[in-house]
Amino acid sequence: MIRPNRTHALRLLVAWAVLSVIGVVIGLQLSLPPGSQSQQSIEQSWLLKLMTLISTPVFVGVVLYILYAVFAFRQRRGVLEDGPPSYGNIRIQVAWVAITAVVVFILAGVGISELDAAATGTNFTSSNAPALATSGSVGTTEGHALQVQVIAQQWSFTYRYADYSGVESLHLVLPVNANVVLHVTSTDILHSFWAYQLGVKADANPGVDNVTYVTTLQTGSFTVRCAELCGIWHGNMSDTNGAVVSQADFATWIAQLQKDNLSIPVPSYAPYYFPSPRVKGT
Amino acid sequence: MVARGNNRGMTRLVVLVLTVGILSALVALFIGGFVIRVPESLTASPATVAQGSTPAQNAFIHLETVASVNTAITFPRPDDPHPTWVSYLPTTILKVPANSTVTMQIDQEDTPSGLRNPFWSQAFGIEGGTFHMTYFDDKGNPQEGDFSSIPDPATAAHTFAIPDLGVFVPLEGVNAAAPAGSMNVITFSFKTGKPGVYHWQCFVPCGSGTIYGNGGPMQTLGYMAGFLVVQ
Repeated sequence: MIRPNRTHALRLLVAWAVLSVIGVVIGLQLSLPPGSQSQQSIEQSWLLKLMTLISTPVFVGVVLYILYAVFAFRQRRGVLEDGPPSYGNIRIQVAWVAITAVVVFILAGVGISELDAAATGTNFTSSNAPALATSGSVGTTEGHALQVQVIAQQWSFTYRYADYSGVESLHLVLPVNANVVLHVTSTDILHSFWAYQLGVKADANPGVDNVTYVTTLQTGSFTVRCAELCGIWHGNMSDTNGAVVSQADFATWIAQLQKDNLSIPVPSYAPYYFPSPRVKGT
Repeated sequence: MVARGNNRGMTRLVVLVLTVGILSALVALFIGGFVIRVPESLTASPATVAQGSTPAQNAFIHLETVASVNTAITFPRPDDPHPTWVSYLPTTILKVPANSTVTMQIDQEDTPSGLRNPFWSQAFGIEGGTFHMTYFDDKGNPQEGDFSSIPDPATAAHTFAIPDLGVFVPLEGVNAAAPAGSMNVITFSFKTGKPGVYHWQCFVPCGSGTIYGNGGPMQTLGYMAGFLVVQ
């Protein structure tokens, strides 16, 4: 039986610990996407950081061991011969599988709870995100979430504000410090609504009212893209003029939008739409 | 015997390689014909400054929209590989000057087909907020006026939209009561801004005979979409 070389193990352990600490310290400094414009993006950035920090020691361990083995255990010059036979070490194997399983299950649990919060809007209750303030001109009440319908079509998104007689806009404008319910749908084929900096991505399908949630925390612009290949001009289906604005600016903006929309026939608000006719020209 | 067998095998291999090679080349040419074919470009006629009694004119683009390219009045394209497709004519690659105002005239000859989203019946991003239109009323009489939207989304034939410049103009379909060979003439102006290549398109799903009207000319460069080259 070959006894493990304790010098190698000790060296590896010390190097791994030092490099892991350095890696984690560097990782803590990283500013990871999607940012801090909404409660959802903050939570996603935090989740990404957690995954990065936990995987750093694993990455360092694997790479360090490979590099160490290449240099320390390489075949020296001389007669070419088989290496010593090696046998499994049950304690190392059990520990390896157990530690890996624990790390994976913890990350899966954290990830699933975050996904669930995003899908059900439970993170609306966050103390960081006060409900939309009461304001006569805005026409909302405390605790009320702003309802916005996202309509995808080849090749543009438009946005209908259900709380404001269904007025429609070319750009998604949201008040800051507000809970927003996004109803994502499509008038033709499959699209996907992706407001990157807000940390929101949801399928836009015809005949479906796909509900997702966002809590705005910082004013600023954001980009909306289509994230589902939807035809020849899919690459042009983006808008860099999405904006989170102050509640006063939002009130002014939506009032102007309602005034502008008076001149056009606004259809009754529907939760979703079906394309028709199925075949054009028949 | 063995040598003859080898020769036969060799001949088969050569024939096989040649056949596969020729077929691959044909497929590549066929696909390349679609991919490489780029419509010709149309350069806006240059702007002029006022001279004496002649007023200043913006850079000018003249387009035509038709139900099928072989029946166009102004810019017919009889040699088109898809003569029955709906299209903008004469081309969809438009070159216009940067930081200037461009006036566009569209001769709209197609019949109404309707907007799936009535929102697009508004005009956005054009000078003065209105477009000028000559059209035919329900009695077939010619009319004209300035509009900020079309009255009924169901009567739209097409739209002209440059999303990145915020320009959206609905194009009214020719009334069924109008005399044969009639056209609605829509005129509007917009500002171009900085140089770049901007995508433009129609928002009416108008590809006849395709599922939801979104196929054919809606998915092919040179028919219902193109580029505005601002230079």
